[in-house]
Amino acid sequence: MKKQLAIGLAALLAAASLAGCGSSSGSGTAATAAKTEGEAAAAASDSATSETSASTSGQDSSDKSDVTLTVAIWDKGQQPGLQKIMDDFTAKTGIKTDIQITPYKDYWTMLEAAATGGNLPDVFWMHTFQVATYAQYDDLLMNLSDRIANDPEVDMSKYPEEFVKAFQNPNGDQIGIPKDRDTAAVWYNKDMFDEAGIPYPTADWTWDDFREDCKKLTKADGSQYGLAMKPGSDQEGWYGTIYAYGGYVISDDMKKSGFDDPNTLKGLDVIQRIIDDGSMPPYSQQADNDPLALQEAGTVAMTFQGSWAASELSVNDYLKEHIAIAPLPKGPKGAVTMSNSLAWSGSAQSKHQDEAWELIKYLTGEEAQKKQAELGVTLSAYDGASDAWAKSQPGFDLQPYLDAMDNAVLYPHSKNTNVWYTMMKEKLVSVWDGSARMDDTAKDIAKEMNADLAEE
Amino acid sequence: MNRKISRGGKIIIYVVLLLVAFVMVVPFAWMILTAFKTQTESTQMNPFLIFPTAFRTEAFVQAWEELNFGRLYLNTFAMIFIRIITCVVTSDMAGYAFARLKFKGSKFAFGLVLFQMMVPEQIFVIPQYLMLSKIHALNTIFSLCFPGLVSAFGVFLMRQAYMNMPRDLEDAARLDGCNIGQTFLFVMSPLTKSSKIALCIFTALFGYKELLWPMIANTDNNMTTLAAALAKINGQHLTRYPELMAASCIACLPMILLYLVFQKQFIEGVANSGSKM
Amino acid sequence: MDGRKRRARSEFLWGWGLILPAIVGLIILNIIPIFQTIYQSFFKTGAFGRSYVFIGAQNYQKLIQDKDVFLATINTFQFVLLEVPVSIILALILAVLLNRPMRGRSAFRTIIFVPMVAAPAAVAMVWKWLLNSKFGLVNHFLNSIGLSSVDWLSDSKVALLSVAIVGIWSILGYNMVLFLAGLQEIPHDYYEASEIDGAGFWAQFFHITLPMISPTMFFVMITRIISAFQMFDFIYMLIGEQNPALPHTQTLVYLFYKHAFLQNNRGYGAAIVVYLLGIIMLITVFQMWAQKKWVYYA
Repeated sequence: MKKQLAIGLAALLAAASLAGCGSSSGSGTAATAAKTEGEAAAAASDSATSETSASTSGQDSSDKSDVTLTVAIWDKGQQPGLQKIMDDFTAKTGIKTDIQITPYKDYWTMLEAAATGGNLPDVFWMHTFQVATYAQYDDLLMNLSDRIANDPEVDMSKYPEEFVKAFQNPNGDQIGIPKDRDTAAVWYNKDMFDEAGIPYPTADWTWDDFREDCKKLTKADGSQYGLAMKPGSDQEGWYGTIYAYGGYVISDDMKKSGFDDPNTLKGLDVIQRIIDDGSMPPYSQQADNDPLALQEAGTVAMTFQGSWAASELSVNDYLKEHIAIAPLPKGPKGAVTMSNSLAWSGSAQSKHQDEAWELIKYLTGEEAQKKQAELGVTLSAYDGASDAWAKSQPGFDLQPYLDAMDNAVLYPHSKNTNVWYTMMKEKLVSVWDGSARMDDTAKDIAKEMNADLAEE
Repeated sequence: MNRKISRGGKIIIYVVLLLVAFVMVVPFAWMILTAFKTQTESTQMNPFLIFPTAFRTEAFVQAWEELNFGRLYLNTFAMIFIRIITCVVTSDMAGYAFARLKFKGSKFAFGLVLFQMMVPEQIFVIPQYLMLSKIHALNTIFSLCFPGLVSAFGVFLMRQAYMNMPRDLEDAARLDGCNIGQTFLFVMSPLTKSSKIALCIFTALFGYKELLWPMIANTDNNMTTLAAALAKINGQHLTRYPELMAASCIACLPMILLYLVFQKQFIEGVANSGSKM
Repeated sequence: MDGRKRRARSEFLWGWGLILPAIVGLIILNIIPIFQTIYQSFFKTGAFGRSYVFIGAQNYQKLIQDKDVFLATINTFQFVLLEVPVSIILALILAVLLNRPMRGRSAFRTIIFVPMVAAPAAVAMVWKWLLNSKFGLVNHFLNSIGLSSVDWLSDSKVALLSVAIVGIWSILGYNMVLFLAGLQEIPHDYYEASEIDGAGFWAQFFHITLPMISPTMFFVMITRIISAFQMFDFIYMLIGEQNPALPHTQTLVYLFYKHAFLQNNRGYGAAIVVYLLGIIMLITVFQMWAQKKWVYYA
């Protein structure tokens, strides 16, 4: 009896699944084919239209409605908003899109495999860390320069220049158009500040103030700490300290590490002191829990958060109740934020490059960029399109992120960033857990990083 | 081991077994309990909460909305079903030949099979991906099945099964005028049913647990498997423990149900795979 | 004479005919990739499978000097030596306990086997959550009985043990079921005869049970050791980057993954796999040879 049941069940599932595959691709095309045929027939029966025009019009409509562009991204948080924007695009052009999400950890493995096999998605996200790897070959990323030049609607001066340049290949051709930008700020717990009797941070606070506040917000019994920040909180956190003290991570020509620069070491010293103060939870807690998780559990007063994390604010009840946003603290060079951009790139291997270009153009154009900010997806790269974003999370004032743009540094990267970036994070873990000192480690990083850069 | 065991001995045995069973069950219980909590409850320390204050189903609803579970179930089972058919057929044939026929090259060919079992599967991902991309078959049910269409372990297992069978059956069949193919198909193959069930189970478990391949080859969210989709949301929401646990519950449920319904077959199947080498 | 020749020819044709589908499949799916990997290990590789530069044995020279590889080798061996014996011994004990009529026997068997059918991502997630140093149930339990918390996943002295515990937890039921099957094949009269001779529990265990179950043991050891050497999933999901314990837990396959997939250095990754493959082959061949000394076939 059971056996029969099993066989029946298996057969049913198999049949259902086969039917499922059919409907997703096969019958879809069949339906469109039927539709075009119908249209053509209708047109042909219309005595006024000539045979040729009927068939071309039929062809036209089939072209558009047949095309489904595959779009690859890694951030699930952005999907709902992007889907709305893509729906607008489909309504306008008839070109359909299919967003595929692969987590960041696996995204680049997927993309590299796809590029090797000539299968890149039609349109996808590109990161400053990776763009140089892809830019070294002409047949991977769609060269957008000619299309940009021939299209009066596209104006590259509307995007921050350093981002535009970051997505050019060695010949100066554009291989991606910036879609967004990000900046950093401090999320602080108002109630913990109140309890400790310290005033809320203002735009004038310095890294020294910050360190003092961290100390005061830390309770001796280990139930509350001033700050949670990991070695991987570089972009939103401690890179900013380096630049605020006049240091740098990588030289402008991307040939030399800045980790042994005296100013860099001054900045990093602030971090070392915060660690020495015991203002952060024991590293084991941070290894197991993301800084944000610790903040949401009410065990730390402050975290550094990039603008990309903002959508979490309206999801989490604890954050809604307790959190406010302050700008990064100032150093001798002011408050410096890292700023990075993702770009929309197209595949040079795609059969639908015209449609892909339509989509990229739309997504990076003023209308979609404004909508992206309004929906709270991210800050937009397009000049002046981001203002609505400041109000996109009800109950929070995101203005510090917008103000941070005034003193922003492009997120450091080189041709093969991941090699030294991974090494750097690995080495810093031992500073965080107290088994090594920052200045020795920084010099060590500089040495290895210079060797890695020489190999690029 | 048939000897009478004293009352005290029995109690000790039960205590040991209950302890082990408890350790086996706790992670699942924790998964379920966390899934019913709110996020605040899940990280609450003072007091630490074992049970949720109320059984909320929000996390399940969120997880269900997040992942297209119906589709994922279908993909996973379709993949398992196809793999089972191809694996059992090819392994049965090859296992019989390796065990019962003497022919030139068989040792070498079997060496290849054994050799393959020692290689970590991660190295196959990229080459197999490139093969499929050449024939434009990525993001299909076929590509999900691809790495598991044949199985070295299956060949090995079926060879074991045929090795343990008595010679006289075959001789009798030959005297009746059966050729080798007929002997295999009508006489021998029906006798290794239990090993085939074992192979079905292993194929199913292996396919169900595979992670890296479906993530790379089937990027379309509607064409991937339960395990891969689950790993995906693990990377996405580092902090939303109840939702992660709810998704885990939903993903584990079908296999556990199948196991509970067919536990006799499962356990006998696995037991049969360990036969003598 | 003629008949035997014909028989040999027909066995040859049928033999190859029957193994062909499986062998062709395995050659395409596995054997070709293996040789590609060996080939790659002699090249410096760029991304996208392009700009290969032949560099002879340089990847291997680098490998010998690489501290990470050395540590990962030790980690891998430590993991194998932890996971395999403990899971085998525990499973054997459970199988012996369950190998007699008793109340709740099949319930215990069912429960102990359940982890085998859970999705590994779910297993990793829930264990990560149980072992969480701050919010985890395990540390809460320790604290409530007056012990201090343990950094299960980030203390480099403990993390590998934690991974092994999760590994053992997942595989215990499988090993146990195999042993139970082995135990049930032992004829009852062996025990009855020895009882008449006055043999006690332990004498029976060492003189009857162990030898009779040694073929199963051998099978379990060979397959478990191979898969323990290939450990990747749990390290990948439980430990992760920015964990101070990573250098002391990462296995060779993890290192391969890091170089080949994260850093686009497929040539070096390939060299690591070839090195691991060499280790596994040596150990398997040794086991095949050693089985003659201890495995008892009836």
